[in-house]
Amino acid sequence: MPEVFVFTIDKFSFRVPTDRLYSAEGLWALAKDGIIRTGLSDYLQQRSGDVAFVDVQPGGKRVRRGELLVSIETIKITSDLHSPLAGRIASVNPAMQRSPEDINRDPYGEGWVCELEPEDWEEARLSLMTPQAYFAYIQQDAAQELE
Amino acid sequence: MPAKKKLILLPCSGVGKPFGTITREAAYQVAQEDRPECTQIVPLSLLVMGDADAKALLMDAEIISLDGCALACASKMAAESGAQVCAAFNAMDVYRAKRQYKPQGISSLNEAGQQLARLLAEQVDAAVDKLTEEGTQDARA
Repeated sequence: MPEVFVFTIDKFSFRVPTDRLYSAEGLWALAKDGIIRTGLSDYLQQRSGDVAFVDVQPGGKRVRRGELLVSIETIKITSDLHSPLAGRIASVNPAMQRSPEDINRDPYGEGWVCELEPEDWEEARLSLMTPQAYFAYIQQDAAQELE
Repeated sequence: MPAKKKLILLPCSGVGKPFGTITREAAYQVAQEDRPECTQIVPLSLLVMGDADAKALLMDAEIISLDGCALACASKMAAESGAQVCAAFNAMDVYRAKRQYKPQGISSLNEAGQQLARLLAEQVDAAVDKLTEEGTQDARA
């Protein structure tokens, strides 16, 4: 199990595992065996609310960095999230269709969204935030929200 | 012959999103229109406040919980009170099955929200019928 940063503000606690990188939008990217698995951070899923529907770009499609990757509809918002890297969508988590609430229940595990075969990972990873940077970023963001 | 026990409907008490309202509208539909003879609503807020009468009602009844989100406060409060939840519903599941009905409004639901409430009520009606039928069979056994 990787180390996990946790901070609590008001009645909410947010977790940031240290084994992956993060986009400012709140997607995480976990590299394993040449594949990049992505999903929503705990901070993003809690801010977004209960997920009702997830629409992921189809498996096999090539996406550019910053291009639409997944749309989520929650009880509060509808939100487009963009790919943190360029590559081909190797697989989409089938749970996104049958139990999208997995994103809320287990955002870093069973609630993963899709896997990409990266085309620009070495470059893309430099544009993503380290866990430390993302942790600081969401702490600041949450504090500003409370003000 | 002993009086038939009523089933307790325990809807969400949330007031921040339409889904809580959907559970309450569905509960009203069941308890006031569809199955008034065998169901009764207990407000979740009374349980949260520790109301002794509300807790006593739960302890002696079968509960149908109607939750408005994944937090499932109604189900959890019933369980924490030591009550028996016989059927649990979540308004989100109804919406997931009927994406075309996008609920809006809290104090007053839009037509889509009202439609979801009616669909949820139909599911609760079916659960009430099943539970009361089982109760009748148990009494006969």
